[in-house]
Amino acid sequence: MIRMEALHKTFMSGRGRSARAVTAVDGLSVRAGDGAITGLLGPNGAGKTTSLRMLVGLVAPDSGRIEVDGLSIAEDPQGVRARLGVLSDARGLYPRLTARENVVYHGRLHGLTREAAEARCDTLARQLGMEALLDRRTEGFSQGERMKTALARALVHDPPNIVLDEPTNGLDVVATRALRDALRMLRDEAGKCIVFSTHIMQEVERLCDRVVVVSHGRHVAEGTVASLCEQAGCEDFEEAFVRLAFGTEGAKP
Amino acid sequence: MNRWKAAWTVFAKELVDALRDRRTLMVVLLSSVAMGPLVLVLLSSLVDQFEKRAEAREIVTVGLEHAPTLRNYLERQTYVIRAAPADFEARLKDNKLGDPVVVIPATFESELAHGEAPRIEVVFSSSNGRAQSGMGRVMRLLQGFQQERVTLRMIARGVAPSLLNVARVEDHDVADSAARAAQLTGMLPFFVLMAVVYGSLNAALDTTAGERERGSLEPLLATPAARRSLVVGKWGAVFCVGLLIATLSCVSFVPGQILLRSESLAALFRFGWGEAARYVGLLAPLAAALAAVMMAIAIRCRTFKEAQANTTVVVLAVSLLPVMTLFNQEGEAAWHLWVPALAQMTLMTRVLKGVPVSAADALPGVFVCAAITILALAWITRQLTRRAAQ
Repeated sequence: MIRMEALHKTFMSGRGRSARAVTAVDGLSVRAGDGAITGLLGPNGAGKTTSLRMLVGLVAPDSGRIEVDGLSIAEDPQGVRARLGVLSDARGLYPRLTARENVVYHGRLHGLTREAAEARCDTLARQLGMEALLDRRTEGFSQGERMKTALARALVHDPPNIVLDEPTNGLDVVATRALRDALRMLRDEAGKCIVFSTHIMQEVERLCDRVVVVSHGRHVAEGTVASLCEQAGCEDFEEAFVRLAFGTEGAKP
Repeated sequence: MNRWKAAWTVFAKELVDALRDRRTLMVVLLSSVAMGPLVLVLLSSLVDQFEKRAEAREIVTVGLEHAPTLRNYLERQTYVIRAAPADFEARLKDNKLGDPVVVIPATFESELAHGEAPRIEVVFSSSNGRAQSGMGRVMRLLQGFQQERVTLRMIARGVAPSLLNVARVEDHDVADSAARAAQLTGMLPFFVLMAVVYGSLNAALDTTAGERERGSLEPLLATPAARRSLVVGKWGAVFCVGLLIATLSCVSFVPGQILLRSESLAALFRFGWGEAARYVGLLAPLAAALAAVMMAIAIRCRTFKEAQANTTVVVLAVSLLPVMTLFNQEGEAAWHLWVPALAQMTLMTRVLKGVPVSAADALPGVFVCAAITILALAWITRQLTRRAAQ
């Protein structure tokens, strides 16, 4: 269970006289339950990545509260990180290590023994269909192969909560489908709490149980895809999103 | 997770990662490890040339046919007389002639017989190293001739030649053979010093700016491992790689001695396993500080390339600090032992000279390097999260 309440974050942009405050997140609240995929949908620059970075503790919020399974990130950051599996937009791998070594390294940093991390790596490789990649160095991996390795790395410690920031960026259709299947499996078979940030409508429609629409750092609407269409008064989800995120200015005439 | 366990995990991973970067390691090994012995060999070949030139007992002259007395003297000194080429001045300028040329005037013998002082010219070029190095030998030889003539004249006039000497001047060299060799091999500590810099440079940049550039820092910080453990583990690996290269560089001088061409240099230059071990001991604190400082600079950079440009300041500082000793005519000063790189250079030179290095001499350098390391690691720990999210 992930709870983000009334998060605020302002950054200073520029230096000296040209310095100005930019509000990235402005009172955002998100609640994501176990056994469900919660989508964080918003246009570019809406504050999705900043919110997820605050959730992981990479950025400290100016105000607000973040809890993961009842643990506060401000009070117990290491406890929170141990309960999170994070696939951030930075999906860098170590090119001179094999996929297995990349995954096991993170497993060890999550406190697993080498044997446990190796065993978990084999299980994830089977689930994600990446057995053939395991003992290859990650240098020269395709986007899909990199994503699979990064996802295995994020899940190596079997976290109850999974956070994915724009996970389908740069993936082809086959890799996107594979990712969707993996996430459904994690939700249905393991009852994970999954938070998924994206700006792609189709992803949300096909995958998310609940959607939180974010615009200008604010929470503007929340519900299932159908209920959001109903709130916006239109059948097309893309049109509903534009109306909810940008008001009537962005909607088609 | 236990902090030390996490630090060990990071250390082991970074070490494997750095050692798998074969291409970079090969370049560093060639430039840092092979360079020292190579310079030693070149140096010995230069000394060998000088020695052969001195042993050859040759003198190059113009117009010696006008000076049978001088010829007689030179031959008695077992010198081989060679006639200078006609264009000897141009050859001296162009470094094509390696000996100074003694020019004798046609009136030499008659002037000498009449008690006048004939003018002997010794032509050389101060831009010609070989010719200049032979000047002392030629001047001493001619001085000997002059001394002999004066002594003979005084005896002929019934004057004791000892009257000319109001005091006996003798030189007494207090330098032992190791110290004399250190004059020639004094640049070797510099190569070892640079081996530490270049050995740790790539690993320092890769574990910080490289990690940011490839986007693996953010996932790393999403693990529950303490920031301090991550930094200590990374620093430990960079330090070990730097020290490994430095050790190889020091050890390479031991077999490198076999290749020495100059017999006298080979006899003077004594660099055994003991000296190599002392060098590594002196360099370890510097390797620790350099690893931390380069990581501290690189963590601020978004790309490996930017970090490379920024760390040139460190490379420049380490290469210039030891040069200060060249400009300082007052010799070693107490404060030298408090300046990293300069302290190590000073102490390594002492080891080369065979002067014992006490713990009190080494402690200031160790203390300053330890302080720099701790401060830099604390700075990196603070910066790590901030920079990952930028």
